[in-house]
Amino acid sequence: MAGAGTLREALRALLPPTKEELTLQLGETVERSVVRLLREAVELFCGGRGDECLQASEAILDYSWEKLNTGPWRDVHRDWRRVYAFGCLLKAVCLCEETGDAGAVAAALRVCDMGLLMGAAILGDILTKVAAVLQAHLPSGKRPAPGPAQEQPHEKKARHDHVRIPDVRSERTVPRLRCPSLQHFRKHFLVPGRPVILEGVADQWPCMKKWSLEYIQDVAGCRTVPVEVGSRYTDEEWSQTLMTVNEFISKYIRDEPRDVGYLAQHQLFDQIPELKRDISIPDYCCLGDGDEEEITINAWFGPQGTVSPLHQDPQQNFLAQVTGRKYIRLYSPQESEALYPHDTHLLHNTSQVDVENPDLEKFPKFAEAPFLSCILCPGEILFIPVKYWHYVRALDLSFSVSFWWS
Amino acid sequence: MAEERRGSWFGFGFCGFGQALGSGRGRQVHSPEPLQTPGEDADVCRVSASWSYTAFVTRGGRLELSGSAGCAAGGCRDAWASEALLVVLRAGPGRGAGTELQAWAPGSALSGEPLWAHTVGPEAEGEDAPGGEPQAGALPLLPGARAYVSPRPPFYSPLAPELRARRLELGAEHALLLDEAGQVFSWGQGRHGQLGHGTLEAELEPRPLEALQGVPMAEVAAGGWHSVCVSETGDIYIWGWNESGQLALPSRSLAEVGKTAAGEASGPKEDGSDVRTAEGESGGLAPFIAIQPFPALLDLPPGTDAVKASCGSRHTAVVTRTGELYTWGWGKYGQLGHEDTSSLDRPRRVEYFVDKRLQSFLFSTDQSNQNVNCPGRKKNQYIFLKG
Repeated sequence: MAGAGTLREALRALLPPTKEELTLQLGETVERSVVRLLREAVELFCGGRGDECLQASEAILDYSWEKLNTGPWRDVHRDWRRVYAFGCLLKAVCLCEETGDAGAVAAALRVCDMGLLMGAAILGDILTKVAAVLQAHLPSGKRPAPGPAQEQPHEKKARHDHVRIPDVRSERTVPRLRCPSLQHFRKHFLVPGRPVILEGVADQWPCMKKWSLEYIQDVAGCRTVPVEVGSRYTDEEWSQTLMTVNEFISKYIRDEPRDVGYLAQHQLFDQIPELKRDISIPDYCCLGDGDEEEITINAWFGPQGTVSPLHQDPQQNFLAQVTGRKYIRLYSPQESEALYPHDTHLLHNTSQVDVENPDLEKFPKFAEAPFLSCILCPGEILFIPVKYWHYVRALDLSFSVSFWWS
Repeated sequence: MAEERRGSWFGFGFCGFGQALGSGRGRQVHSPEPLQTPGEDADVCRVSASWSYTAFVTRGGRLELSGSAGCAAGGCRDAWASEALLVVLRAGPGRGAGTELQAWAPGSALSGEPLWAHTVGPEAEGEDAPGGEPQAGALPLLPGARAYVSPRPPFYSPLAPELRARRLELGAEHALLLDEAGQVFSWGQGRHGQLGHGTLEAELEPRPLEALQGVPMAEVAAGGWHSVCVSETGDIYIWGWNESGQLALPSRSLAEVGKTAAGEASGPKEDGSDVRTAEGESGGLAPFIAIQPFPALLDLPPGTDAVKASCGSRHTAVVTRTGELYTWGWGKYGQLGHEDTSSLDRPRRVEYFVDKRLQSFLFSTDQSNQNVNCPGRKKNQYIFLKG
C-alpha cells in the first residue's frame, strides 16, 4: 500500500507550482468577498496551515453550493461551478495531506467526485487527475471482492417472479440495417427522422467483451455517482441520491433489492476516462452540426425492471446496448397529442401515459397511436431521432451508452 | 466581552470575515454573544447581515459596516446588506427634500458615487411611525410600498398599489409579500416548493396563498428556499425546502448523519421529490419530507405563541410572546445558537436567552439571484437579537 508520503508527492505534482497559478480567473459574477476568501484559502494551503485551509474551503463550498442550487441548473453561472470545484480541490488535497489512510483517501475521492459532478473543469481538468491518483492509492481492500455470483451478467436469473417479455412479433418493429453508409443513413433516416437499429457498428467495441460487474467494480467501484431511486421519475416516491458504484451494485443489483435503483443519465465517461476507452463515438455523429466535444455521452446502468417513462429529448440519440436487453417503444413527434404530455414546465417533455399499462379511459387517443418497438440487444445501436418519443424498460441487468448529438 | 445591558444586541453563527462586533474570535460563534455597539450613539435599531459583512443603523442615522466592508457613514434611515450590493435609505438634508435610495458596492466604503440612486417621493415621508420616527427595517420594501429593491437587475421593481404591501421578504429565488389585511403572496421560482401553492411551478406575478386565506398573518419571513409566516394568534406556518430540517419536519439527511459516521450533506439538485418513506430507528415507517409545497402548521411546545419569525438561508428562528427564542434547521456554523454545530429538524429553545426577554430580532442573510421577474436575496447564518 502506497504511503502517505508518495500520495502527497503525487498530489503536489498535479498542482500548479506557484501560489499565483493556483488561482481562478473569475468574472464579475463572483463577489469580491468570495475572491478574497479563495485567495486566503490558497495562502493557508501554501503556508502549510491545512486545518485552517479546510475551514476556509468548507465556507467556499457551502457558499457556492447555495449558488448551484439557485435558479435552473442551466442558468447557474459557470464561475460558481468553478469556485465549487476549486473548493473541492483544496479540501480533497488537505484531507490527505496529514494521513494517507484509506478513510481519508476515500473521503477525499468522494469530495473530488462531488466537484466533478457539480463543478466545472478547472486548472486543466485537475479534479479528474486527482481522482485517478486517489483511486490508485486506495488499498485493494477497499474494493470489495466480487459477489458469490460469478456468472456473466446476462445469464443472471430473474429476481422478480415475472419478467414480462413483450411479444414484439405482434408489433411493428424498428427496421434494422447492417453498417449502412453515411449517405444512406442520412438520406433515409436522419433527414426524415426515422428510427433504425444499426447492427455491426458497436459490436466490436471493447466494452462488449470487457464490461462485467467485476470489471465495473474494479475500474469504478469506489467512485461516487448519482442514482435514481424509485420505479420511474414521474412517481412521487422517486428521488435522486449519491453513492459509490460499489454501494449501488450491492444495494440495487445484487442482494435482492427492495427498491429499483438506476444509475441513469450520468456522464460517467467524463468522470472516469478509463471507461471511455472501451467505447467509440459512432461515425454517423459527424453528420451533425456540432463538434465532437459537444456530444453528450451518458451511462445507463441498472437492474432488470428499470423504466424510463415515455418522453422526448431535444437532440438526436444513438443508444448503444452493451449488456442485457431493453424493450423500447417509439412514437413519432406527430403523435404528441395522443400521448398527453404533462402540462407542467418540469415534465412537459414527458407523457402522462404508462405505456405498458395505459389508462385508456383517461387517455383514450393513446390506444390508436401508431408506434414502433424493438428489443435492443448487446452490440446493437438504436437511432432515436430528435424529439421522437421513447419508452424503455430493461428486461435484464442492463448497461447502455447513449450519445446525444445535434 | 461587552457588558450585557437591557436593549442589547446579540449575535452568533458564521463570522469568517470578522464581522461580529462581539468577541469576533475565530470563524464561528456557536453561542450568543453580546455585540459591542459602536461608540456613544449606540442605539442600534436595524441590523442587516450579509455573508461577509454586517450593516448596523442607529437611531441617530449612523451606518456602520463591519466585516469585509468595514466603514461608517451618516444620514442613514435604513440599510439592507447583500454580497453584491449595499442598499441604503438616506434622509435628504432637511424636511421636504425627500429620501434617497442608494446602492453601493459593499467594498466602496460609501465614498465616491453610488452605483445607482433613486429619489423616493416625499409622499413616502408620511409613512413614518407616529412620533415622527423614521421606520427602519422595511427594506427591501421601499417607503410607500410602491416598489422594492433587489441586488440584481432590475434593481428596482414596482409593486401594484392594490397589493398594499406591508412587508416584503426575498429568498434566493422567490419573494414573499404580506399585505395590510394579513394575506400572504408569493412569486418567483417554485422548484423547492417555496411558493406554497402546492406545485413546483414558477409564478411570474404575486399570487395569494389560497391555503392561508382566512387566517390573517402578522409576519412573514423568507429563507433561501423556504417560507415562514406567523398568524396574529401566534401560529407558525412553514413551507419549501427541508433539506436541513429548516421546516422542522423529518429530514432524511439529518437521519443519515445520525446513523453514519461521515456526514456529507450536500447532494445534487433535486427536482420534484416529495415525500420519501424510510425506516425509523424503531423499525416503523417515518416519512421524510424533502419538499413541502404548501403551508404546514408547525407545532411549538404547547402554550407558546410566536410573534416573530426570521430565516437564514437554511435555518429558521422564532421569537415567542414570552421572549423566548427557538431555532432549527442548518446548524453547521453554530447559527442555531445551541453551542454546537448540529443541524436540527425540530424546534429547540436557545437556552442562553431563558432569563432574558427578547424583543425583536433579525437574521441576516445574503446573496441573491434573479429569475423571471423576481429578485432573490438570501442566505447567511448570522443572527442578531435584541434583548
